[in-house]
Amino acid sequence: MTQLMINGKAYDVDVEDDMPLLWVIRDVIGFTGTKFGCGMGLCGACSIHIDGNVARSCITPVAAAKGKNITTIEGLGTPDNPHPVQQAWAESDVPQCGYCQSGQIMAAASLLKENPKPNEDDIKNGMTNYCRCGTYLQIHAAVKKASDLIGDES
Amino acid sequence: MSTQEKLKVSRRQFMGMSGALVLGMYLPVGKLAAKAGVSAAGKVNAFLVIAPDNSITFYNPFIEMGQGTYTSIPTLVAEELDADLSAMQIAQAPHGDDYKIMFNNTVRFTGGSLSVRSSYETMRRAGATARAMLINAAAEKWQVKASDCKTEPGFVINQSTGDKLSYGELAPLAATQTVPEDLPLKESKDFRLIGKPVKRTDSLAKATGTANFGIDTQIDGMLVAVVKQSPVFGGKVKSFDAAAVKDMPGVKWVDPIPDGVAVIADNYWHALKAIQALPVSFDEGANAKFSSAAYLQSLQDNLDTAGVNVENKGDVATALKSAETKLTADYHVPFLAHATLEPMNCTALVTDNNCTVWAPNQGADFVAGTAAGITGLPLDAITVETPFLGGGFGRRFLMDFVAQAVTLAKAHKGIPIKVVWSREEDTQHDFYRPMTAARYRAGLDANGKPVALHVTNVGEGPMGRLNPEFLADPKIDTTVVEGVEKQPYEIANHKLDYVHMPLSPVPIGYWRSVAHSVNGFIKESFIDEMAHAAKKDPVAFRLSMLSNSPRFAAVLKKAAAMADWNPSVVEKNGVKHAMGVSLHESFGSLVAQVAEVSIENKKINVHKVWCVVDCGFAVNPAIVKMQMESALAFGLSAAMGEEITMEKGRVRQTNFHTYPILMGKDMPEVETEIINSGATMGGVGEIGTPPIASAVCNALFTLTGKRIRTLPLSKTDLNA
Repeated sequence: MTQLMINGKAYDVDVEDDMPLLWVIRDVIGFTGTKFGCGMGLCGACSIHIDGNVARSCITPVAAAKGKNITTIEGLGTPDNPHPVQQAWAESDVPQCGYCQSGQIMAAASLLKENPKPNEDDIKNGMTNYCRCGTYLQIHAAVKKASDLIGDES
Repeated sequence: MSTQEKLKVSRRQFMGMSGALVLGMYLPVGKLAAKAGVSAAGKVNAFLVIAPDNSITFYNPFIEMGQGTYTSIPTLVAEELDADLSAMQIAQAPHGDDYKIMFNNTVRFTGGSLSVRSSYETMRRAGATARAMLINAAAEKWQVKASDCKTEPGFVINQSTGDKLSYGELAPLAATQTVPEDLPLKESKDFRLIGKPVKRTDSLAKATGTANFGIDTQIDGMLVAVVKQSPVFGGKVKSFDAAAVKDMPGVKWVDPIPDGVAVIADNYWHALKAIQALPVSFDEGANAKFSSAAYLQSLQDNLDTAGVNVENKGDVATALKSAETKLTADYHVPFLAHATLEPMNCTALVTDNNCTVWAPNQGADFVAGTAAGITGLPLDAITVETPFLGGGFGRRFLMDFVAQAVTLAKAHKGIPIKVVWSREEDTQHDFYRPMTAARYRAGLDANGKPVALHVTNVGEGPMGRLNPEFLADPKIDTTVVEGVEKQPYEIANHKLDYVHMPLSPVPIGYWRSVAHSVNGFIKESFIDEMAHAAKKDPVAFRLSMLSNSPRFAAVLKKAAAMADWNPSVVEKNGVKHAMGVSLHESFGSLVAQVAEVSIENKKINVHKVWCVVDCGFAVNPAIVKMQMESALAFGLSAAMGEEITMEKGRVRQTNFHTYPILMGKDMPEVETEIINSGATMGGVGEIGTPPIASAVCNALFTLTGKRIRTLPLSKTDLNA
C-alpha cells in the first residue's frame, strides 16, 4: 500500500511504484480534472502541484510523490470558492474546449507563487503548456489578471 | 429554402415530469406518425423544458468543442424566451430524428461552421413560442388579455396590476395552451443578448476541473481498454499471444478489434503496459510499401493532366499565350493530423436489450448508427451521452473509436468499457487532412493587369471518400477545390481543373476548414506572386480585381488600415520586419489578415496579426473574436511545423515531439475587427484558418525574397 496526500486528504492505494501519478489520480482515486494529453510530459495537460511545485503527472512515478502534498485542480479551488487563478480564468472566459485548462491553471498558479508580479516575457516563457484551441493570448492575460487579484488580496 | 422554415414547434407530454412545459420540434408532415409512436412509448425529445421549480433546461443539438455553441445557441433561445442565460441548464440533446434540424431535417451534426447560422431562426422560434405560451397561461390565470402582459427574464408581468408569476409557476398551465404559430420574432433593435459579447456558460466548470469530458467517464464496474491498431493502414492482426500478458497487473482480457487488438484492464496504465508487452504480429497487407513521398510524386506527375474541368471562363489558353508576362508555380501541402488534446476515447455498456455510449462526437446519430450496427439493437435502444469535447476540428465525425468500444462492450455484456487511445495511436490513426498539389499559371498584360489564371488541383478530398452523396457533381470533389473555386478576383480568362488522384490507403478526413486550408494558402500565395510580377502593391493589386466585390474590398481595406499596411521591409530595433496580406472566403464569411514577421537567429517570429471578419452578423462578437484567434493559431501551427509523413505504409510521427503544435511563446498578438455587413450569415469556427499561412509566407517573401510553395515552414531553409 502506498499512502498519498491529495488535496489535503490521505489515500491508500495499491499500485506499482512506477505507475504515473496521473493514472493513480484519474483511474484509481477518481479525480478527473487532471487530464491526459501525451504521456511524455510534453503538453502539460496533466500538470499538478507536488509540495507546491508544478509537476507533469504523466511522467511522475507514484513513488516520487510518497509523503508529499499533492494538489490537483480540484484541490486548488472549487466552483463555489475558486482560487484567484481560476477566478481570473472564469471571468476572462479563457477556455474554449477547456481540455488543457486545468493544466494551464496549475502551471499559472505555480508560476505566480514563484513570481507574483511576472512581466510579459516571464508569462510567455513560463507558461509552456499546449493549447490546441490557441487560447494563449487569453491565458497570458488571465495570468496577469490573477497576479492582480492575488496582489489585491494580500 | 432554409431548414428551419420547415419546422413546426410543438408541445409534447413529458412523461415523468408532470407540470413542465416541454417544447419539442415536430418534423415535417410525413414523419409525424413515426414520432407519435415514439412518444407513445414514453420517449419524448424536447428542446426546452421549463419545470415548476423554475429550472429551464435547453437540449442543445450542437456539441461544444470550444467554438462556443453552449453559449451562442442557448443565447438565441434565451433572447426570445426572455430568460436569464446564466440560469439556464444546457444539456446535450440525445440522438434521433427529432434533432435532425439541418438540411431539410435530414441530418444533425456539429461542423461545417453551421451551428449558429443554420439554427438562428429555429432556436429563436423555440424561445418565442415558449414565451407566448407562458404569457397565454398568465393571461388565463389573471383573466386579462395576453397583450396586457409582458415579460422580464424568468417572469410574466401583469402590466395593469404589476403582479408577476415566474415561468416555473406558469409552466403547468402553459403546457395546456395551444401552440401558437407564425409568431413574430424580435426586431434586432430590441435584442438584449444577440449581438452582444455575452459571457460563456462553460468557463467556471472548465476553470475548476469540473467540466466533464468523454475521457472522464466513470461508471461503476468500468474497465479501461488500450488499443494497438495495425501500424500499416489496412493491415490485419495475424496473431497475438494473450497468455504472455494475462498475468500482468490488472489485465482482464485481450480482445481483437477491427484492424487491431485491445487489452482490457482495471486502469489505463495497466492496459498500456500490457499492450506494449503483448506479442502481436500483423499481416501488413498490400500497403506495406507506400510512402507519402511517392504519393506526392504521383500528384506532381499529374499537374498538367486535363482532369475534370470545374470552371472555365473566356479562353485561358489563348490569353496565356499572348500575355506579356507569364508565371507558373507549383505548390503542395502535406497530410495533417487533428491532434485534439483529448485523445480519441469512448465508453460503452452493452446489455441484451440496451446499449449506452459515452462518446465525444460531432454527430450523435453517427454514434447511435455505429452502435446499432455492431450490437444489432434498434436505434431506440441506443443511448448516446455526449460530454464536452477536448477539441474536435473534424476528427470526431469519424466513428472508428466508437466502433472499438462497442465491439469490446458487446463481447463483455454488462461491463462498461472505456477505450482510451495513447497519443501515439491518436497521431498514427487519424483521418488526415489530405496532401494536395496544385499548379497555377497566370498571364499579365503590359500594364501588369491579370488577364488569365489557370489552376489545376490534384488530389482527393474527404467528401468524395466519405460522403460522396453530398457532392453536387460526383466527378468534382468540392473538398479539393473549395476556396479556389468561385474565387472573387476578376480575371477575364479563368480556368480551374481538378485531377482526381486517390490517396488510398491513407485515411483522410475533415480538418478545420477542410480544403480551404489548402487553397487559402496556395491561392493567396500565388496572387501575391502575381502582384510582385506586376510590380504592384499586394493590397492594391487585390483591390484592382475586386471592383464588383465590395464586401471583399471592405475587409481587405480595413485590415490594411488597421495594420497601417506597408509593403516594404522596415527595421525595428535593428531587426527587419515585413508584412504579408491574405484574403479568403470560406463557409459564407470573408476574412482578411495581415501578418507582421521577422527572422532572428533563423527563427521565424510572427509578431502580430490584424484580422477582419465579415460573417454577415456576429451573434456573439466576443466568441467570434476568440474563434478568429483560435482558428488562425490552428493554421499558423500547421504552417510552422505540422506534417504527417508515411514510410513503409506507416505514419512516422508519434507524439508532440515529432508533430509539434504551436506553443504560447510563438502565438502572435492578434487584433480582430468584425464587420456586421448584414449579408447572409456565414460560419465562424473555421474561417480564420485559411488565410494565415499565406499572410505569413507573403511577409516572408518580402523579407527574404524567397517564395514558399510548400509547408510546413520548418522544412524550408530561408537562408539558403
